[in-house]
Amino acid sequence: MDFINFLTNNTGTIVEYTGNHFTLVLQAVSVSLVIWVPVGLLLTKSDKWAARVLSLANTIFCIPSLSMFAILVAIPGFGLGRKSALFALVLYAMMPLIRNVHVGVKSVDRNVIEAAKGMGMSTGRIMREILLPLGMPIIFAGFRITVVMTTGIAAIATYIGERNLGRFISEGLVRSNTPMMVTGALIISVIAIGLDSILGAIEKRIVPRGLRI
Amino acid sequence: MTWENFRFALFEKAPGALQEHSLIVLITITLAILISVPLGVFLTRPKFKRFGMVTLNLLNVLQAIPGLAIIALALPILGLGMKPAVLALLFQSLLPIVRNTIAGLLGVSPDVKEAASGMGMSQRRILIEVEIPLALPIILSGIRTATVYVVSMGTLAALIGAGGFGNLIMGGLSLFRPEYLIVGAGLGAIMAIFLDRVLGYVEYRITPPGMWIE
Amino acid sequence: MIELLQITKKFPNQTTPAVDLLSLSIPAGEICVLVGPSGCGKSTTLRMINRMIEPTSGIIKINGEDVKNTNSDQLRMGIGYVIQQIGLLPHRTIAENIAIVPRLYKWPKDKIKKRVEELIVMMGLDLEKTWGKYPSQLSGGQMQRVGVARAMAVDPPIMLMDEPFGAVDPIARTHLQDEFLRLQKEIKKTIVFVTHDINEAIKMGDKIAIFDAGKLVQFGTPEEILTNPINDFVENFIGHDRVVKKLNLFHVEEAMQPVGCMVRENELHSAAVKMKAVGAEVAFLLNETGKTYGHITLTDFKDCQDNIESLRKMVQRTKKAFVQTSTSLPDALSLLLEYDVDYLGILKGEKLLGMLSFKDIRKHVYRKEGD
Repeated sequence: MDFINFLTNNTGTIVEYTGNHFTLVLQAVSVSLVIWVPVGLLLTKSDKWAARVLSLANTIFCIPSLSMFAILVAIPGFGLGRKSALFALVLYAMMPLIRNVHVGVKSVDRNVIEAAKGMGMSTGRIMREILLPLGMPIIFAGFRITVVMTTGIAAIATYIGERNLGRFISEGLVRSNTPMMVTGALIISVIAIGLDSILGAIEKRIVPRGLRI
Repeated sequence: MTWENFRFALFEKAPGALQEHSLIVLITITLAILISVPLGVFLTRPKFKRFGMVTLNLLNVLQAIPGLAIIALALPILGLGMKPAVLALLFQSLLPIVRNTIAGLLGVSPDVKEAASGMGMSQRRILIEVEIPLALPIILSGIRTATVYVVSMGTLAALIGAGGFGNLIMGGLSLFRPEYLIVGAGLGAIMAIFLDRVLGYVEYRITPPGMWIE
Repeated sequence: MIELLQITKKFPNQTTPAVDLLSLSIPAGEICVLVGPSGCGKSTTLRMINRMIEPTSGIIKINGEDVKNTNSDQLRMGIGYVIQQIGLLPHRTIAENIAIVPRLYKWPKDKIKKRVEELIVMMGLDLEKTWGKYPSQLSGGQMQRVGVARAMAVDPPIMLMDEPFGAVDPIARTHLQDEFLRLQKEIKKTIVFVTHDINEAIKMGDKIAIFDAGKLVQFGTPEEILTNPINDFVENFIGHDRVVKKLNLFHVEEAMQPVGCMVRENELHSAAVKMKAVGAEVAFLLNETGKTYGHITLTDFKDCQDNIESLRKMVQRTKKAFVQTSTSLPDALSLLLEYDVDYLGILKGEKLLGMLSFKDIRKHVYRKEGD
């Protein structure tokens, strides 16, 4: 009951925070895709560098998100606000994206690539017509992980000034306003699960025809 | 930023936080393993495979829920303190371990099990002497993922009174003491990375040479 | 014509070169087989021709032109390349797979369609059943044929084939080999074929190049190599049944002798006389219609002591001992043993063209070149 009341009384704020949340997630995921996917593709050419970069990404990924935000706040030039939030989110996206692009491309049967190369297909063509389509299921899985993870971590960014759905939780905790807190938690849970399910459904359909048969 | 604040944070507050945080991680992960591994084994037994699929799907769905939300939802249901925090974190750390246990066990070559059975090993023996040892690297990988996750989300546990590094961080944020931030956040990060590396090394050591996947 | 001039390939983590100062001239319009044990450098050599691997030193020329002068992608578009695991694109249909190089050449759509249809049929596959299928829906043998079809799409004058029939069962392999040889009679491409199987090399090759540990050991026609293996390695590689293998190269037509003596059914009793008169050891028997149905030898007469019934029985025993002219010598040898006879009648259709004995086979193996 309190829950419903809260929803109806604060619709405006809910909409505002949700909007902010989505904007942040959208920005972070877009930037991450633009940066990490090409890097991932480049790294498939050198196993040595791939291992190094993946190791770095893994290390970054281990850092607790609150820690990451906190450290960024302490650094002059970043501080509170969207810049730090974006920076952290993009850093976290490094691991799932680079790893899945790498694994996806590497998972393509070497014989197919050898035959294609032997027929005279250029490297660019092989990338476009073979590696990406055949690696797409795994790459898309990485994208899905990134989106869901970013949605979750973005909520924590409320502690460095973001006014998004995480704020319901943080304010609710501080002010012992349980309806606010629970509502916030539920909304964001529903969004996260929803995104995961939708992307999961798409992931299943992204498998190229020849491989599904 | 002052050295005095640093000193205070590092030597006065950090040890306590470290203790609390370690306790949270230790208890949560131990419980997680004790629940998840048997559950995973159970779900791969032929009779219960169907439950396995359902459970797995359910856990996958729940995995999407942000850690902050879980911690927040723990409060009205369970209250403040370490116990609620452990339970909330437990909830989220089950999936990686269960999923990897199942994957690891299913990944054991049926030929190996057939050979063992043909030699006269009972199903129980096969499980203990063949399946689990062969699945161990993958299970351990799941434990590693869960551990890092618990250290990470454990920082938020401070919000519901469980202590840990989160306290230092929150303190630093609300009191504008960057020193607290750096100490709390830094130690949290170090703990996470350290455990990840250690468990990674253990994973490396227990994987038989012939089974390297990557 | 493909020339390899002093080709060496040394891989970074190796002490001995994979290919060591190899010089080889591959004549145009023939199948040249590179054969040798695992790791001898034959595949490496093959892949240097289309620059999938670059030689450490040495030059490769195709029709006088250094292959390095052509952009590697362009070079490969003009050379057919078939590998053991085929490597069909799993996410494209068979038709799309075959059409890859024509598309790279930007052929018009209808030309591509026509050519793909042509090739599917040429490779003995059912057009409707194969066109829109995906590789995962085909059998191993079918996929292998598609692999060859794909390589021939733009009708390249040169084809490189690396154990192309290796991934199928022996029966399918034999069929593929036979069909390919039949095809080659018409298209006469320059083919460089790698295999580790000496029998396949002898069957498929116009010329054989034997490799050992990166070096070319012997180069020649199958007959040259079987008759004169240059060293112990080659001898061992060929196998101790070298001479029997050599039989594979011939058909009964080449070794048979003309039939010296033919008698009619009712003349059986006087066959011995006739044989002695013409100096023959054996006489073939003809029935009223002039068809042959068996033979009898002088030795048989001695054994039967001129008893007509026994003689008739002897002839009966030989009624199966006939083969067509296209039969291979090893098969003929095997049949001589199976039917327990000294002679085989050689037929073309129903007509008796000649006869073959153990001695004839022996003589043929050891005849000098040019006899």
